[in-house]
Amino acid sequence: MRRLTTSQISKHFGYRKIVNDVSLTINSGEVVAIFGPNGAGKTTLIKILATLLRPTSGTIDIENIDAIAEYAKVRHFLGVVIHEHLAYPAFTPFENLKFFGQMYGINDLEARCNTLLNEVGLSRFIHEPLHIFSRGMTQRFMIAKALLHNPLILLLDEPFSGLDTSARQFVMDRIAQEQEKGKATLITTHNTELGYHIGTRFHFMIDGTLEESIDKDDISEDTLLQKYQDRLIESGTN
Amino acid sequence: MKALRQIAALTRKDFKLQFRSKETLVLIFVFSILVVLIFAFAYGQVFPTENSDRAKLVASVLWATFVFAGIITLNRSFSLERTHGALHGIRLTGVDASNVYLSKVISNVVLLMSLEVIITPITLQFFDLFHAVTFGGLLTLFGILSIGTIGFCAVGVLLAGMSTTTSGGESLLSVILLPLVIPTIMSGAKCTVSILTTGAMEEPFWLTMLIVSSLVFFASAYLLADVVIEA
Repeated sequence: MRRLTTSQISKHFGYRKIVNDVSLTINSGEVVAIFGPNGAGKTTLIKILATLLRPTSGTIDIENIDAIAEYAKVRHFLGVVIHEHLAYPAFTPFENLKFFGQMYGINDLEARCNTLLNEVGLSRFIHEPLHIFSRGMTQRFMIAKALLHNPLILLLDEPFSGLDTSARQFVMDRIAQEQEKGKATLITTHNTELGYHIGTRFHFMIDGTLEESIDKDDISEDTLLQKYQDRLIESGTN
Repeated sequence: MKALRQIAALTRKDFKLQFRSKETLVLIFVFSILVVLIFAFAYGQVFPTENSDRAKLVASVLWATFVFAGIITLNRSFSLERTHGALHGIRLTGVDASNVYLSKVISNVVLLMSLEVIITPITLQFFDLFHAVTFGGLLTLFGILSIGTIGFCAVGVLLAGMSTTTSGGESLLSVILLPLVIPTIMSGAKCTVSILTTGAMEEPFWLTMLIVSSLVFFASAYLLADVVIEA
């Protein structure tokens, strides 16, 4: 079942084309991994799909709703992790989740916040403000926040960056759990090893252009890595 | 009902953030006291002896103080939202932008009115007018200040939302906001002079202008909120 479909979306900042005619589909139960070097346009693409940025051209359908015209209607389908906290550093994780839960209109909110914070391993830090958290703890909080309203689609921008081994494993396990529940996940990363393990389908993104789709069944990890590096050398971005 | 619950939660969050750091509260209080003191010292040599002249001076001091303190609170309230992308977090919940706008107006108005309740009597005392104002006159004065504050914050929240997305936004807000709110400040100051001089509103034209300008600002900013919050 198609959760998210884009057709030829582009984004220009002044004369620069950051995202170039990207067409992409993410189905239920899929984890699509986009590999690309820094500056390839991955974050911009995630922000466009999260309806935080308007594309210059193209269309986005989320759950069969036009996400550009009716962005407010599709946002509750999305769980988003980007480089920003998307929360208040002065608040504790519990206060943040409670506030955003009120905005979503979640029932039995306090229990939901406690369960999520326990699941992401932050129950010991429930009363500590977010600004004292390490990168890994912040990432755990952001995953809890992204899952707060039980969204159908997860958009995760570089979810492994700055994480230690245990935190990486936690993020991978959590994505796998959500995949089993039938959620559609899009992750962007430049780590092909982690991306290969968690993904079911792969794309390369170079200079704003999304390249061919590769199914996990059709490629080994080594071949994927080799293909990615060849592509980077060809494009002159390595 | 859902909208009211969201506005209440957003407003509570704003107060919680302001009272937790206390930066803005301390800043606007100290700033306002300093402005009043500077005016009091600056006019020390030429201090007007007539109540009516002192009323004109106090009206100018009060409105100048509250307008500049207001610019500080407006800038701070949006910079708290923009750093670390908290406003994006709110947008992602699908909340209506007009609810975010209304909550910002409410929290800024309450914050500024609390400041006005503290600073107004202090200013009247410094300029030797406190004895000349009745309790009823003081209440009417707070009413006038409240209407002006609503008009000021109505347009100020909208422009602060726009200016904080740009570099140097804090200076930009003063430049774009002050010319726009001239009708509100001018009519508010005229009403203040009238109350401090006679104890009543004797010039209905200025009161009407104050109310109309505040309403027009509020209505137009409310309609434009979506464009600014989603920018």
